[in-house]
Amino acid sequence: MSSEKINTSFDALVIGGGIAGGESALNLANNGFRVLIIEKDLSIGGKMILLSKVFPSLDCSACITTPKVSEISRHPGITIFTNSKVKSIIKKSKNDFEAEIIKYPRYVITEDCTGCQLCEEACPVIIPDQYQYNLVGRKAAYIPFSIASPRVAAIDIENCTLCGACEKVCPTNCIDFTQETEEYLIKAKTVVVATGFNLFDPIKIPRFGFGSYKNVLTSMQMERQLAPTRPFNTILRPGDAKVPDNLAYVLCTGSRDVTIGNPICSQICCMYSIKQAQLLMGALPMADVTIYYINIRSFGKGFEEFYSQAKGMGVDFIKGKIGKITEKENGNLILRYEDINENKVKESEHDMVILSVGVLPNPDNATLFHGEELKLDPFSFVNQTEPLASPSRTSIEGVFAAGTATGPMDIPDSILSAGSASSEAISYLIKKP
Amino acid sequence: METEKGKTFKYMREKREVSQAAKDNLKKFNRIKKTVMEALQENELSIDQLTKILDMPKDEVVFYVMSLVKYGFVQTGTIDEMDEYFSYKLNK
Ligand code: SF4
Ligand code: SF4
Repeated sequence: MSSEKINTSFDALVIGGGIAGGESALNLANNGFRVLIIEKDLSIGGKMILLSKVFPSLDCSACITTPKVSEISRHPGITIFTNSKVKSIIKKSKNDFEAEIIKYPRYVITEDCTGCQLCEEACPVIIPDQYQYNLVGRKAAYIPFSIASPRVAAIDIENCTLCGACEKVCPTNCIDFTQETEEYLIKAKTVVVATGFNLFDPIKIPRFGFGSYKNVLTSMQMERQLAPTRPFNTILRPGDAKVPDNLAYVLCTGSRDVTIGNPICSQICCMYSIKQAQLLMGALPMADVTIYYINIRSFGKGFEEFYSQAKGMGVDFIKGKIGKITEKENGNLILRYEDINENKVKESEHDMVILSVGVLPNPDNATLFHGEELKLDPFSFVNQTEPLASPSRTSIEGVFAAGTATGPMDIPDSILSAGSASSEAISYLIKKP
Repeated sequence: METEKGKTFKYMREKREVSQAAKDNLKKFNRIKKTVMEALQENELSIDQLTKILDMPKDEVVFYVMSLVKYGFVQTGTIDEMDEYFSYKLNK
C-alpha cells in the first residue's frame, strides 16, 4: 500500500454503483453537485447489468442499463472509483463527512486501455468467471464482461502466474504491475448509501443439494444462461451439457424461512422466476417448466397479467413446499414436496432445478459509519427513520439510503427510491446551515 | 527496482511469489487443453466421450470445454438424434 493518503473533496459520496447508486449520482450531478461513486466491483451497473430481461415488460436489461452507465461514466460531475471500498466514514459536523477509501490496484492504467482484449487472448490461465456465476472460465487478464463500464481490463493477481504474456502483447503498454493499493481521505457534504443486496447462498440449505448436484442452479446462473452474453451456446445443464427439457423452479429459496434467519419475502423472486420461465419457453420450445411455490406474490403493476401470461404459455404452477432434492445417476433430480392443495407428500422428476434465491441485506452497512451509528432495521437493512414522510432518511442526518439497501424491491422501485434519496440529499445540500 | 514499461511483471515477481494453487491450476488447464485438442483432431466428440478420455468429473469437463469454446479453440458441433447432447469440434 502506498503510504500517503490522497486528500480530495466532493459534494456527495455515493456508496455503490448499481442502478440505485448510479441514478442517485446522476440526479445529484445533473443539479450541479460533484459526486464520487465508490464501487466495490470492477464495473458499475450492479446486478441489473447482468440480467437478461426485466419483468413484466420483458425489455432487454442490458439495453436499459448500458446507456445509463455510459451517461454516468461520461458525466463531468461524476467521479467513479471501481475496485474500491469504504473503510470508514465519520461525521465531523453538519455537511462534513470524512471517508477513508481503499482503492485496490487493477494493474491496468484505465485511461490507456482500449479494451482490445489482446491480453485476455494471450493469458494462459483459466479460472471460474464470477460474472458468469462460475458456469464457464475466464482468464487472469480479463475484461469483466462485454458491456462492463469501464470496459477496461484487469489483472486477477491471485490467479496470475506472472508470465508476462499479457504485457508483451498489450499495444498501449497499459498493464502496470507496479500499481499499489491507494488510500484516500475524502471530504463530502452528504452521503447516499446504495449498497444493494446480497443473494442468498443456497449452500446453506444442504437438503437442496446445491454445490453437490451440478444440475441444481441458482436463478442468477439461469439469468446468465438466458442473457445475450450467455456462457453457453444454448441452455445447458452444467453437470453434463445436456439441453434440459423438464425444468423446475423452487420459489422462496432463502426467503420467508426462519430456519435460515430470513423471515421476510424477497419481493422479486416470484416475478423473476415467472419471467425466466417465459424466456425458457421461448428458448426451449419443447421443454416443460414447473414452478413450485408457496404463494405467488404478483402485487405490482402488470404482475398478475404477467403471471396469467405464463400460465397461458403452459408453465405449470404447483403449490408445493420442497422438502428434499435427491440426484439420480443420470443427473436428473427428484423433488420430494408437500402438495399444499392436496395435503399429500409427492415426488416428481426434473432434469434441471433452479433455486429462486432471495434478497439478503448487505452486511457492510453495519460497519460503514464510525462514531454516529447508521441504524439497521430488525432484518439488518438500513433503517428508514421516516418511511412514509421521508423514505430515504436514515438515523444519521445527511445520510440517505437508496434502493435495496433499505429492503427488497424491484428495479422500478429502486429507481424511484434513488430519486427520493437524491432529492433529499439535494435539499440537504442547499439548506442554509 | 527500476521498472521498464511492458515488463513490469518482473517487478511483481520480485515482490510476490506466485501461489502453488495458481501454478497447479495452470498446469491442470494446460493438460486438459492439450488432451481435448488432440482428441478432437480426428472427430467431433461429446462431453461423455471427452469425460472418458480425460478421466475426470463430467461437470469439470463441461466447464473446461465451454471455456475452450469461449476462447475460440473449440466450437459446438452437431446435436444428437434426441436433441439432447451436442458434440464439440476444433475451431479450425
Ligand atoms: S502475467 Fe498473469 S495476467 Fe498476464 S498473461 Fe501471464 S498469467 Fe495472465
Ligand atoms: S490491457 Fe492492453 S491488451 Fe489488455 S485490453 Fe487493455 S489495451 Fe488491450
